[in-house]
Amino acid sequence: MIEVRFHGRGGQGAVTAVRILASALYLEGKYTQAIPMYGTERRGAPVVAFLRIGESRINERDLVHNPDIVVVLDPLLSRTVPVTEGLKEGGLIVMNFPKPGTEAGIGGRFMLATVDATGIALEALGRPITNTAMLGAFAKASGLVSLESLEKTLLEHWPGRLGEMNLRALRTAYERVTPPVDVSGIQAQEKRPREEIFSKDVSSWRIFKPQLDEDRCVGCRRCYIYCPEVAISMIQGKARVDYSSCKGCGICGEECPTGAISMVQEAL
Amino acid sequence: MGRWEVMVGNKAIAYAAKLARVQFISAYPITPQTSVVEYLAEMVASGELDAEFVNVEGELTAQTAALGASAAGARAFTATSGPGLLYMHHPMHATSGGRFPVVMAVIHRSVKGMQPDHSDMMAQRDTGWIMLECENSQELLDTGIMAFKIAEDERVRLPTIFAGDGYILSYTAEPVEIPSQEDVDAFLPPYRSSYPLLPGLAEEARRVQMEQWGIGQDPQLRWRRQQEAMEAAKMVIMEVNEEFYKWFGRRYGNGLVEEYRCDDVEAFIVAMGTIASTARTAIDRLQAKGRRIGLVKLKSFRPFPSEEFRRLGAMVRAIGVIDRNISLGSGGITFQEIRSSLYDLEERPRILGFHAGLSGKEVRVGDIEMICEKTLRAAKGEGPPSLVEWI
Ligand code: SF4
Ligand code: SF4
Repeated sequence: MIEVRFHGRGGQGAVTAVRILASALYLEGKYTQAIPMYGTERRGAPVVAFLRIGESRINERDLVHNPDIVVVLDPLLSRTVPVTEGLKEGGLIVMNFPKPGTEAGIGGRFMLATVDATGIALEALGRPITNTAMLGAFAKASGLVSLESLEKTLLEHWPGRLGEMNLRALRTAYERVTPPVDVSGIQAQEKRPREEIFSKDVSSWRIFKPQLDEDRCVGCRRCYIYCPEVAISMIQGKARVDYSSCKGCGICGEECPTGAISMVQEAL
Repeated sequence: MGRWEVMVGNKAIAYAAKLARVQFISAYPITPQTSVVEYLAEMVASGELDAEFVNVEGELTAQTAALGASAAGARAFTATSGPGLLYMHHPMHATSGGRFPVVMAVIHRSVKGMQPDHSDMMAQRDTGWIMLECENSQELLDTGIMAFKIAEDERVRLPTIFAGDGYILSYTAEPVEIPSQEDVDAFLPPYRSSYPLLPGLAEEARRVQMEQWGIGQDPQLRWRRQQEAMEAAKMVIMEVNEEFYKWFGRRYGNGLVEEYRCDDVEAFIVAMGTIASTARTAIDRLQAKGRRIGLVKLKSFRPFPSEEFRRLGAMVRAIGVIDRNISLGSGGITFQEIRSSLYDLEERPRILGFHAGLSGKEVRVGDIEMICEKTLRAAKGEGPPSLVEWI
């Protein structure tokens, strides 16, 4: 049996990813089990999902503690979440990271393949929803599932245009993912304090950051009302973002009627 | 021939209701409801399923509405979870008292918190419903179909719950075979109530009911008749399980309990639901190491298969019972019932009780291996004669 753990953030589609993978592998004659871990459904909060792949019905109903493979959907997550915890020696990590695996701050007796899934998702979908790109990367790096089965399942899941867009993300990542590199010689980066679902400081969740143009702000308070994290305060008639509470969801930018808020990608 | 699909447990439950061609579905649509009724609502809206779907304002009404539909002669279904089931408690007595064969899916959720345990269903244990527990999504679908056949059998006529653990099954996706509609139709013919409470027929129906089910005579008689129906249900459950096997090639032990690798063992453990599933792996590992321990999966919690445990208990020296529940102030519920089933044996095995998985606490393969080792020690006469432990 092969066990896989997916790490992501609420909204990146980790649960959908394991379900699609379970269906695609089933097409190839495997028995599968896709287990989501539900917590509070908070967009941006760290989430995990598991996948078991076996040759016959899988009886284990506990969680996966010693995965063979770890997939990381978010480029910054590994700074606060111990993504390699319990990973078997010689195990594979497939990570959304725009640089070579040796620069990801992950070390240990593992193999690491990277792909800029955020970049690919933005190109293909216009949104940083990285799950389908990471499925393409997973297929190539692990060799466990064919691109064809994934394509078929994906189109069943999203018929029409959405399916086509996701197909592009899937295929592009399949082509661009790096071959796995040995990271046993790399010093693992110091972790920041472990992130919890109820964390107050959510700045590490951001891929995009709201930037305020004070001249264009007319003080209408829309952003202040809609921000789900209460990260915006109104000071002397102008909006101001408290960046430690801002998770980068972009709702303020969507709601602002004057275009005073633009979302800029965070540097890695 | 059926077809296969990778689906979550909630969808498997919805398919059971659809394939059974339920005519009436009542549900409270908000938390703690699950996506079972969402799938069913879609099936009804798309015309795939011809049923009356009634959204109600609470679970008490959901149960009462299902009761009413069943009384009028419709095949009625509802689903709920955790605290929703607690709200149904009062009318559930009426459903069983009126001998209405409503079928209900229970997606376990603890009465303390969101994660699963069996406290929700155990709180209904004396409501007079048949209760069948499932360990995977295939079993949920299959048991759902069987539940109607059991409930509607003239020898039984009792409402029936089929249940599975929330999250662990309800939102986990795995391959499930969906039997063909033709086969299910042949296995489960349409429901024909012999005593529909319809205008004009109502009087006659009431008269028959009173006679047969003891209403309006000796005040205790209706209880006694219900208990007799529960006893009769044991045979019916076994029959339906075998007939299902003939049609679909799957069966669940003898319908009441399933013995897993119990040949030539000196002890066995007992578990319900998903813990029984995980326990299979533990048993496989231990038997590979030469340990002589098996698993008895308890599928029918009500009626409780005491005879089965008497038969099985006579073959071993120790039994370890895992309860995903507790009767506070007393103890593990299946532990006590099994223990009492063994009382009449000349030579009783030792029996140990374990509480595990309450409020969704994870039960790992290793936990069950440890339970097995303790049970094996008891079989060798080591350790205390009786023991209750929290895992
Ligand atoms: S992006 Fe805007 S709306 Fe979202 S958390 Fe940050 S300030 Fe609030
Ligand atoms: S929505 Fe735009 S204009 Fe209105 S207060 Fe916020 S930043 Fe200013």
